[in-house]
Amino acid sequence: MSSSISLRSRAIEPNRRAVLAGAAAGLALAGLPAPAFAAGTPELSEFVARITEGAVPLREGVTLAIPPLVENGNSVDVRVAVESPMTEQNHVRWIHLIADKNPFPDMARLHLGPRAGRAEISTTLRLAQSQRVTAVAALSDGRFAMAEADVVVTLSACIDGG
Amino acid sequence: MALLALPAAAQVKSGSEFLSPGMARQQADETRNPGFFWVEQGEGLFSARPPQGQACIVCHAEPRQSLRGAATRYPQVDAASGKLLNLEGRIEQCRVERQTQPAFGHESAELLAMTAYIASLSRGLPMDVATDGAAKPFYEAGKAFFERRQGQLNLSCQQCHDGLVGQKLRGDTISHGAGTGYPAYRLEWNSVGSLHRRLRACSLGVRATQFDFGSPEYLALELYLAGRAKDLPVETPAIRR
Amino acid sequence: MFNARITMPAEAKAGEIVEIRVLTRHPMDRGGQSDGKGGTVPRKILNRLTATYAGDQIFRFDMHTGVASNPFVSFTTRAVATGDIVFEWREDGGATYTRTSRLTVT
Ligand code: HEC
Ligand code: HEC
Repeated sequence: MSSSISLRSRAIEPNRRAVLAGAAAGLALAGLPAPAFAAGTPELSEFVARITEGAVPLREGVTLAIPPLVENGNSVDVRVAVESPMTEQNHVRWIHLIADKNPFPDMARLHLGPRAGRAEISTTLRLAQSQRVTAVAALSDGRFAMAEADVVVTLSACIDGG
Repeated sequence: MALLALPAAAQVKSGSEFLSPGMARQQADETRNPGFFWVEQGEGLFSARPPQGQACIVCHAEPRQSLRGAATRYPQVDAASGKLLNLEGRIEQCRVERQTQPAFGHESAELLAMTAYIASLSRGLPMDVATDGAAKPFYEAGKAFFERRQGQLNLSCQQCHDGLVGQKLRGDTISHGAGTGYPAYRLEWNSVGSLHRRLRACSLGVRATQFDFGSPEYLALELYLAGRAKDLPVETPAIRR
Repeated sequence: MFNARITMPAEAKAGEIVEIRVLTRHPMDRGGQSDGKGGTVPRKILNRLTATYAGDQIFRFDMHTGVASNPFVSFTTRAVATGDIVFEWREDGGATYTRTSRLTVT
């Protein structure tokens, strides 16, 4: 799963739009309902759609905690919690983190399961610039849920010459 | 200027007081502060026996006691050579002269780790460098450097680190420039770096000459900063932006 | 130079949810910068962390270049049986690193 993501996403770097169009064709995005596009930039919804294989994520049940103003994009604390009983029948399979303006938008995927007990993770991300961060959770019933947050990345005052 | 310097110096605060609450928590939390990896590496190196020569710990038994407080007294004048040595300089001196090994080298992972380790043994203890006697000329040189306008922006260290303390400069909040948490983990570096590396960044910031790591100019400046930071606790490894 | 600091309780009651915190020393070099010799530095990151406990993989972290240098991650697991939690990292180029933490279940 992750290796196919990295291959596709790595190919995005030289010509993101062209390659995305190709990827989208492969995923039969044509049938994607409009609401998915309403929320973010078209490109971001394409990233999300690629991850959910076209399904429209619910916009509930996911908490994405990230500072709105980041002091340095090199390491940004993020915490994601998903409302889920985390049972065999009903759990979060994974949480995927996207930064649409990073050179490589797919940042990470954290695979959980019923053994986790709770769907709550935190980690440290690298954000190239101010942008929208998206967390997409894949649920065991095949549905997806997501949350987004806008992050302003400030620069450090003294650039390092040493 | 002289009038300004004294009362201001009495109120110098640690750089940690200017951190966001999130970064301050991260600094204090050993499970989150990556600087402790360097401390741990230094602790390992301290007991490691080099190919020919003695491990540091052979001469410095019980470092938690015997070297506790050492970092609070650096930079200091080396009695034998009359040179000003910072903690890195003292470590390299032992490394070369007593351990008979090649110097680690400025900004090498090993020297940063060893310095971070030895400084961490003084965590919480107040800075206490000598600024009189043999140290006086160095201290005065450092003070003059601190107060001198320089660079294309024609700014002195003092204008920012006394006059503009608490002001925002892009993403940063200007502190007193106490430097009591170095070597520190800086997000900008994604790594631990020395105080002199930080000074080079400030020199570049005002488009002034960047002096070398371990240069007499930065050593004198380091002594002045340490004297100004008297009684502030050592906080190595600090976290900084 | 790789290193890791794993923080979790040494003991837990059966069924209790424990938090596992993992701080890793790794530059997570995203590559692409000039190497000063006309070429570029290759990417070298930890691309995966897996944790196994009582026979099962309980967590997997797929990392790309958007994960910070010296990354931190925390997750949870339900205490089921006394045993080792084994952490394994995979680095670009194929190197692997492992660490083990014991959880005693009472
Ligand atoms: C052969 C013995 C020997 C070895 C090996 C040795 N040292 Fe030293 N070290 C000394 C002596 C002697 C002093 C000076 C003590 C004094 O004058 O107070 C000293 C001083 C120091 C000081 C200054 C202490 C202070 O209170 O100012 C530091 C720091 C130090 N050594 C670190 C190291 C490190 C790091 C190593 C290993 C790389 C090392 N030493 C290896 C003998 C040794
Ligand atoms: C344009 C304003 C400016 C000037 C001039 C300047 N600095 Fe800084 N300096 C900063 C900022 C901003 C920071 C990062 C925030 C902070 O810790 O103060 C900083 C950080 C520092 C720190 C690190 C403090 C810590 O706890 O991490 C030291 C030490 C320092 N400066 C010393 C100096 C010295 C010495 C000079 C003169 C050569 C100088 N600075 C000139 C703005 C300046």
